[in-house]
Amino acid sequence: MEQVEIEKDLHTQELTLNMGPQHPATHGVLRLVLELDGEVVKRCTPHVGYLHRGIEKLSEYRAYPSVMPMTDRLDYISSMINNIGYCIAVERLMGIEPPPRAKYIRTLLSELTRISSHLLWLATHALDIGAMTVFLYCFREREWLLNMFEMVIGARLTVSYPRIGGVRSDIDDDFIKESIKFIDEFPSRIDEYETLLDQNRIWLQRTKGIGVISTKEAVRWGLTGPTLRGSGVNYDIRKKVPYDAYDEVEFDVPLGKNGDVYDRYRCRMEELRQSVRIIKQCIERMPDGKILSDDAPDLDMNPKGHKRLVGNMSLWSANIAFTNEYTLTPKGELYSAVEAPKGELGFYIVSDGTGKPYRMRLRSPSFVHASVIPRLCQGHMIADVIAVIGTIDIVMGECDR
Amino acid sequence: MTFKELVKKALFLEILSGLALTLKVFLKKPVTIRYPHEKRPVSPGFRGRHAMVRESETGKERCVACMKCAMVCPSQCIYIKYNGGDGTPRELVKYEIEAYRCIYCGYCVEVCPMNAIVLTEHYEYSSYKREDNYFDKERLLLNWDEHVKTFKGKGYFNKFWSPPGIDIKRLPVGKRESINTGK
Repeated sequence: MEQVEIEKDLHTQELTLNMGPQHPATHGVLRLVLELDGEVVKRCTPHVGYLHRGIEKLSEYRAYPSVMPMTDRLDYISSMINNIGYCIAVERLMGIEPPPRAKYIRTLLSELTRISSHLLWLATHALDIGAMTVFLYCFREREWLLNMFEMVIGARLTVSYPRIGGVRSDIDDDFIKESIKFIDEFPSRIDEYETLLDQNRIWLQRTKGIGVISTKEAVRWGLTGPTLRGSGVNYDIRKKVPYDAYDEVEFDVPLGKNGDVYDRYRCRMEELRQSVRIIKQCIERMPDGKILSDDAPDLDMNPKGHKRLVGNMSLWSANIAFTNEYTLTPKGELYSAVEAPKGELGFYIVSDGTGKPYRMRLRSPSFVHASVIPRLCQGHMIADVIAVIGTIDIVMGECDR
Repeated sequence: MTFKELVKKALFLEILSGLALTLKVFLKKPVTIRYPHEKRPVSPGFRGRHAMVRESETGKERCVACMKCAMVCPSQCIYIKYNGGDGTPRELVKYEIEAYRCIYCGYCVEVCPMNAIVLTEHYEYSSYKREDNYFDKERLLLNWDEHVKTFKGKGYFNKFWSPPGIDIKRLPVGKRESINTGK
């Protein structure tokens, strides 16, 4: 009789555990509600929205050029590519073609940003899994890149560098010299990281066979970027819909096979090498000439030859009255995407002809990838959830916008 | 498992090669700097604390209250008030920047036709009081004085001041010339 009672008491039930929003390994303010059976994850529910700043809504009240500094704050690790993605969307809307030098500068700096973003991904991913040395080595190189951004534009992280129809400032010889020094040095640094990780048994046990997703399923979940290419799908916006100078440079798209954490790691490491290759070609072929198109709008969207008088109106009403008076952009809708380090970053702009977007919707890769976390960590241990979060390279600033 | 793999596993070869790299870096010169004691030189044109240029001849600000900076500011953190206008010259009454809201994009500096508002290379200005970083006109002028003290040379010019893609001869006069620091 007593025996039965004890067994009833020992009946194990599922434990609900909150992981985040203040967990050091969840990359920002991601909150996962885990339902655990012992140490095995039965169910996982991601909760997003802790970093919502309303960037989409804010941009409806600003002129097109003034929206651009806000896109820095989407994916703050690769702010340059966000800026370029936004500028390309507006350029396609307004029918502006940037001059070739601007295109090459953008391509060069996008790839430097991709390297710096992937370095931060590798650093934190390895730190989460337990390899602290890689973290410090990656930050050494990342610091170098941030200093290079400071040389070009005067800011390290939130650069606001490109401009609708070109770029903001020209690159000088010092920067080119520094870039050449970097690309000469960097491939040997990649080998260093791989010495620490590639054959490391602890690393292999933590990454191989974890978070496997098949090719078919990866496409159906809407994954993009290296997360998709780790499953062996050849989809890269730089190849499929080339923007800037990507159709003029040669590079390969690295693909994985198994679609696990290790293959996605290999994909990103190969992308680092391909980025170096693109930078090398950009420096070799850098054309001379202008950096801003003649059709490019001013910062205040002032039409050419128009003198704006504010008078004693309040700023808001002056701005609104002005933008309603002139047709500054073609009416219509447009979707334009770029290959951000995390995946496909898309801008969907609805224009009503004024100087402000009527509606701007962002398709951010991190938001789509956050939805796949439950699928990836189903049936794995609680420690593998960390590996899964690391492998999709989630940035909450972009996810919540 | 092949014999080679077995040997690798038994002798911890991968871990040893990793540790060899760590040891190699351990003997190199450190890349870090001891920040509060030694400081990294910032690049020219670093977007730091705001300042309003004080003209060395008159001792006053250069601003003409054209409102362009307040118009383009993405975070709407510049507040300007002026008297006059409509034919008469404008007189600047209030010019305030809320530095906590500023996102340091540098748009105000670029649109300014007079080079009146600048972002200096000074970046250490945190304080215990919130009001300290709510810059009014006098405070902005003092910021400029502080910047001039650390600056060596006669004329101050920053390559990010002028808008891109425009021939320098077509810019307004105030934008073309470097600022006389009065040294």
